[in-house]
Amino acid sequence: MESILAVLPVLIPLAGAAVAMLLRRRRRAQESWALGVMVLALGSSCALLWVVWHEETALVYAMGGWQPPFGIVMVGDALSAIMVVMSQLVLCAALLYAMGCKDQCTYYPMFYPVFLALGTGLSGALLTGDVFNLFVFVELMVISGAVLTAISDDKLGTEAAFKYFYISMLAAVFLLLACGCLYASYGTLNMADLSVRIMADPSAPLLPVAVVSLLVVFMIKSAVVPFHFWQPDFHTAAPTPVHAVLSSVVVKLGVYGFLRMNYLLFPMYMEQVQGALIVLGVVGVFFGGLGAAGTYDVKRMLAYSTMAQIGFIVVAIGWGTPLALMAAIVYAFNHSLIKAAMLMLAGTVASRAPVKTAAFSMVTGLGRSFPMTGALFLLGGMALAGIPPTNGFVSKMAVFQGGVEAEQLGSLGLIAVGGIITLVYVSRAFSRIWWEAPREGIRPKAYGDRVTAPALLIGLCLLLGLWAEPLLKLAGMTTQSLQDPQAYINAVMVGTHDDTPEPDHTASVGVPGDHREPVTE
Amino acid sequence: MILITSLAIGLMFGIGIFQLLRRNVLRSAIGLVIISNAVNLFLLSSGAYWGESPAYVDAAGQRADALPQALVLTAIVIAMAGFAFVMAMIYILAVRYQTTDLDDLSRLRY
Repeated sequence: MESILAVLPVLIPLAGAAVAMLLRRRRRAQESWALGVMVLALGSSCALLWVVWHEETALVYAMGGWQPPFGIVMVGDALSAIMVVMSQLVLCAALLYAMGCKDQCTYYPMFYPVFLALGTGLSGALLTGDVFNLFVFVELMVISGAVLTAISDDKLGTEAAFKYFYISMLAAVFLLLACGCLYASYGTLNMADLSVRIMADPSAPLLPVAVVSLLVVFMIKSAVVPFHFWQPDFHTAAPTPVHAVLSSVVVKLGVYGFLRMNYLLFPMYMEQVQGALIVLGVVGVFFGGLGAAGTYDVKRMLAYSTMAQIGFIVVAIGWGTPLALMAAIVYAFNHSLIKAAMLMLAGTVASRAPVKTAAFSMVTGLGRSFPMTGALFLLGGMALAGIPPTNGFVSKMAVFQGGVEAEQLGSLGLIAVGGIITLVYVSRAFSRIWWEAPREGIRPKAYGDRVTAPALLIGLCLLLGLWAEPLLKLAGMTTQSLQDPQAYINAVMVGTHDDTPEPDHTASVGVPGDHREPVTE
Repeated sequence: MILITSLAIGLMFGIGIFQLLRRNVLRSAIGLVIISNAVNLFLLSSGAYWGESPAYVDAAGQRADALPQALVLTAIVIAMAGFAFVMAMIYILAVRYQTTDLDDLSRLRY
């Protein structure tokens, strides 16, 4: 019954959200419950990653016992597992931050249930093996994120949530369009089955429509350059714990989508997609970097910085050599931890400001009364810019090695120049907050948000910088499994194709009626 | 039937995009509803090969596929929740900003 591990990371937060709703009158119990549930989910996803790593196979859980090409499957392969572990790690840290956070919105009775729903949507979208199910989970994630932003303390939160939700509704329409095109052409929505059928006949006239629609959807999710315009506005206005999740792991959904598209669904369009990703990624590195250097608000600066960092990942995916892919996965993992920690530290600074804002005009010089936060911010900034003892250095190094090995020196040189901008804006933020003298009449509040969560994340960043080997190995294994889609297909389509070598015991199917499928009707 | 459906989808898509690009948020939201319904119709028609008989009526080549109907049902429910949320946000924004013009609804500039 190992296969149930593929669905537990989705099921636990979903059930936890329902129970958290019942606890709405007991805030303390509710927040401890939410954190406990998320830690349990993280434990299950770590177990999934462990099993996938050691058995080198994908775990497949068929919902309700319906066999793969017909029913909905949850597939935990190496890529999904590593992405889910990354997401739930950051979600746990964000919940920990929310518990010690002074934001009014965390006192709303629905904050924690909706937060767990956000976790469910994200984990489900990463684990599902069905295109339509992906749509359902993405919608759950989008609506939870928009609700959490709309209740933000920032009074512009509603406007930000409106912008994001509007563009996401449009993305959902295109995702549905892609589902329709794929179903009309190939008569299935199961990713493994689709992969087999598309390989057999890639000439369907609706296939390019589906490819472009999916590409656009994932670009909107990841805020890759022509579809980035909602991102800084939306992320700046979100409450800090939500901002930390949105700007670090939710944007990685698109990265996951690009990898799935290139290596499982549409390998025949890989070159075109890769070309587009390199160009757009390089533009993103510069656009995000210069945007971050030109802002007057720490949180907005970090939101722009996400755009630049996603650019690095997307360029590495565009290069597409094994080393570059490994670098992209390592970069995505490390960036999530760094960016979440940095955002939480920015939120801590904002909570100490006389008026709750992270604008430089308000927070200049505030840092002198909390130097420890400054030390953490400096370490996080070094990680973001890629300076040694941190994991940011490991990921930047991996990307540059991937670029050299792929002999893409032009784009490599461009993103290296773009990477220097990171150093500029991070050091500017640090010196504004912790070095300059405060302006007259501005005194920090005595208490702010707790720094436990960012301290833990920064600690993890240092650990992964000094002891990077396990993550690199894991990413290497993920790359291998990505480049061998047949293993994924065999694991999912066990017993349905004649060319399947032998039935795999890990791909066993759950007992009917054991678990209900969570979201679809 | 196929011709009528495809014309209807195209027409709805066109009207929807025209409305979506208007400056008034309410008109724009209605455009989004129309586009969403056009895509729902497209999804439905991807399963109804002839579109004249319901599912499981066994005349070879004449029956409609039931799965897209289930998909459309799910999509409609999700879209309904989404539009209820969009409308709620538009209401709050209209009350707070005293306008429904998209150009005046952007105070998130630093």
